Amino acid sequence: MVQSDEELCRLVAEHDAAAFEALLDRHQARAFRLACSILGNESDAHDVSQDAFIRLYESAGKFDGRSKFSTWFYRIVVNLCIDHKRRNKWWRKMVPFSTQDDDLDSPPIDPPSPDPGPEAIAISGDAARRLRVALEGLSPTQKAAVLLQSEEGLSSREIAAILKCSESTARVHIHRALAHLKKTMRKND
Amino acid sequence: MTERHPETEIAPYLRGDLSAGERDRVAAHLAGCARCRDDADTFAAALETLASDIAQIAEPDWSAYRAELHRKIAARRDRPQTSRGGWWSPRIAWASMATAGAAVAAIVLILTLSPRTRIGAPPVEQLAMADAIGGADIGLLRDYPVVEHLDLLENYDVIEHLDEFTPTDTTNEKRS
Repeated sequence: MVQSDEELCRLVAEHDAAAFEALLDRHQARAFRLACSILGNESDAHDVSQDAFIRLYESAGKFDGRSKFSTWFYRIVVNLCIDHKRRNKWWRKMVPFSTQDDDLDSPPIDPPSPDPGPEAIAISGDAARRLRVALEGLSPTQKAAVLLQSEEGLSSREIAAILKCSESTARVHIHRALAHLKKTMRKND
Repeated sequence: MTERHPETEIAPYLRGDLSAGERDRVAAHLAGCARCRDDADTFAAALETLASDIAQIAEPDWSAYRAELHRKIAARRDRPQTSRGGWWSPRIAWASMATAGAAVAAIVLILTLSPRTRIGAPPVEQLAMADAIGGADIGLLRDYPVVEHLDLLENYDVIEHLDEFTPTDTTNEKRS
């Protein structure tokens, strides 16, 4: 019989290693992809998604079962990503010429302007890449909201639960994110 | 069109999150509003592009990822309990408090021993001046009835035109 995420989480709280492995099997790819799309680079996503699983391992007992396990766990992932971006933002202000993300495959986490430079647009060309660059102009919360809808296919109610805000606030975050993407994409056409 | 644009309902509409009533209302609005229709088309395209783009993210080597994760968990588990408190461990807290206490003591000592701040007798000249000022004040107060009638200062017109007054014979006034 297949155990639910919630049951597995309760077993993890009792230090059941197999239950932890099962949750890893189910959620590692989604957690990594979500972190990668919020943070904009694979290296940070690697560390942050691992941190989320460490939190899961150490705090599984705090999961009270009132929400779905996925809501609780993705809240951990999103919060860690937002914290990471904020820390990184501060650091990037201090060290503006970091070369870590200078290549076009991994756009800068916090570029000085939300609008990409003309060279970046000319080189990247395709809509997906321009959209990814435009994403960098969003606040971490807006970005998380729109990615949770597009990537995870979550409803605005589920997104609100993850972001710990009202459903109408979640809808505003999504709308603002999409309006920004539209504006930026049009500007670069 | 006087109806408000259902801006924040467009994304939920595209996902199928809205109730039947809301969905019909948004659909009716989209049918008659080119601006919102354009938003809906662009938002749908953006969401689709994002979803397909994210699906193309290269996945890491999961066995290496999990091996590293287990090493991190083991390292945290094996770490001594006292050092888990991050930078605010008890040892650092005591060291910080001792340093702060020593700094406060040093400042107090410097202020106390500094010649500028030493509390002692004022110089002789300063005392003499204070006596003179005090004496003058007391004299003025003794002649308070006179001071009270110095209403000349209240009449500024008189002060302004003092140079226009001709000298008078004060001896006659004294006689009268």
